[in-house]
Amino acid sequence: MEISVTESGDVRILSFQGNLDTNTSPQAESEINGLIDAGSQQLLINFEKLDYISSAGLRILLATAKKLKASQGDLKICCLNETVQEVFDISGFATILSVSKTEEDALGAF
Amino acid sequence: MIIRELSKPRLLWDGLILVLIIISCVMVPYQFAFNQSNALSGFQIIYLIDLFFIADIFLNCRTTFRRHGVEVSDRPSCTSHYARRLMIVDILGSLPLDLIAWILVGNGQVLGGSLVLALRLLRLLRIVRLFVILRRWEAFSWSNPGALRVVKFLVSILLLMHWLACIWFFSAFASGFPADSWATRAGIAESGPVAQYIRSIYWTITTMTTVGYGDITPARSVEYVLSAIIMLMGASLYAFIIGSVASLLSSMQAAKNSHWERIDSVTEFLRQRHVPAALDAKVRNYYEYVWEHDRGMDKNAMLNDLPGPLRLEILLHLASNILKTVPLFKNCSPVLRDELLTSLESRTFTPGSSIANEGEMGRSIYFIVEGGVEIISTETQKSWGTLGEGDYFGFLSMVLGERRTATTRAIGFCDLLILDKENFNRIKAEFPEFNDVLKHASAERTEQISELVMEGIIL
Repeated sequence: MEISVTESGDVRILSFQGNLDTNTSPQAESEINGLIDAGSQQLLINFEKLDYISSAGLRILLATAKKLKASQGDLKICCLNETVQEVFDISGFATILSVSKTEEDALGAF
Repeated sequence: MIIRELSKPRLLWDGLILVLIIISCVMVPYQFAFNQSNALSGFQIIYLIDLFFIADIFLNCRTTFRRHGVEVSDRPSCTSHYARRLMIVDILGSLPLDLIAWILVGNGQVLGGSLVLALRLLRLLRIVRLFVILRRWEAFSWSNPGALRVVKFLVSILLLMHWLACIWFFSAFASGFPADSWATRAGIAESGPVAQYIRSIYWTITTMTTVGYGDITPARSVEYVLSAIIMLMGASLYAFIIGSVASLLSSMQAAKNSHWERIDSVTEFLRQRHVPAALDAKVRNYYEYVWEHDRGMDKNAMLNDLPGPLRLEILLHLASNILKTVPLFKNCSPVLRDELLTSLESRTFTPGSSIANEGEMGRSIYFIVEGGVEIISTETQKSWGTLGEGDYFGFLSMVLGERRTATTRAIGFCDLLILDKENFNRIKAEFPEFNDVLKHASAERTEQISELVMEGIIL
């Protein structure tokens, strides 16, 4: 699992590559928490190169969204592949997490 | 104008005709045997009833019929179908031929009775129409065929007894009540028609039921012959009555009997295997629920027995409540709804029974139709909340390909619709809208689902 962080204005963009599962979610969690602790309030997670997400990955997304909401921040997600989109649709997470099709759309929504 | 065979007005008209047939079949032979006069009180009634039967002939020409299960509704076909079958019988039984004969030749005699009244007996042919109507009701429109068979049976027996009583009395009347006739010996030759009828029907019933007190006995050849025939009919009828009543009673309770038979055999099996009483009580409780809910019918087996389109029609009717209340169906197109209905399996869970177990791989989605479900951690027995009617669960473990991290248990009796993984994937591939439908259905519960996921609960 590789996570690269880039910036676009105030927004930190995390690009995930590989699988976000029980094994890799602690790494993702510490990366995200590190950014929030450093003062980043606007995060965009790009899933373009993500192959698979497990319940542990979903948990991190939900926890991050909750944490940022509490501190007036914002989490947006973009570029979901078919499987991940399906999980979001069926679980209804697509309605509580802000999901965009492209990175540009997501950035424009902040 | 074409009248549909099973339309409400036609069935109501049939009901009226049925009553008039019974009145005709009682009055006409009574008038012939007991009251040999044209100037009797029922005279006008008979002709009034004739008008209804003549109208019935015209209506029958315009009534649809079924050919190979398809309703034929063009008028020439309806008329020719009726003409080939019962039109002649209906015409003979409805036209006032007695009135025509009376106008033409006056009141002549036949077999010692009035010719006019003898011709009036042709109205007994209406009995054929009675069976046609009852058969139509039985086949298509009667909700309780057992009760209808009882009515048919009782009407047939009572009419037969009435007719035999009339024949028995007429045997004495036609020969002018000779001294050795049964009526003279019984002292009713000069009595009024009511007393005469009571004695006649009394003798018929005692003879037909094989009681035969012997207070009224035959003495003349014609009476012996009649008695012998009625005794033979009575003996056969007696056996028929006993057999039919037993069969009717058992067929009326067929569903309940088969339900009890099933419970008995299950109880016997459990007793033989020394199953604890508490478990035995649970099984009985389940059958009690199945009886109250579905009258003991195995819905899935019954539905699988029907051809596809008919099964779908029944499912749509049975599920009419679910279609309105379960969010899944609210946003479906009719095609997707039909596909889902035929793919879902209906199951009932008993109170406290596990529906989907912790540690299992998700292979189905469960939609709650009736009842409630509790989410429980098996080890700690901690409850993570409940799900109610209209909610669904089981999809996360199925879509994520993970094991369930909690068990779902039925709170009371719980009716669920289950969609297995194969059907889920097939429907998803065939109907891209299915994801949207699920998205809408889960929208109201997203908070609860996300809280469960945060707690590590995957169903």
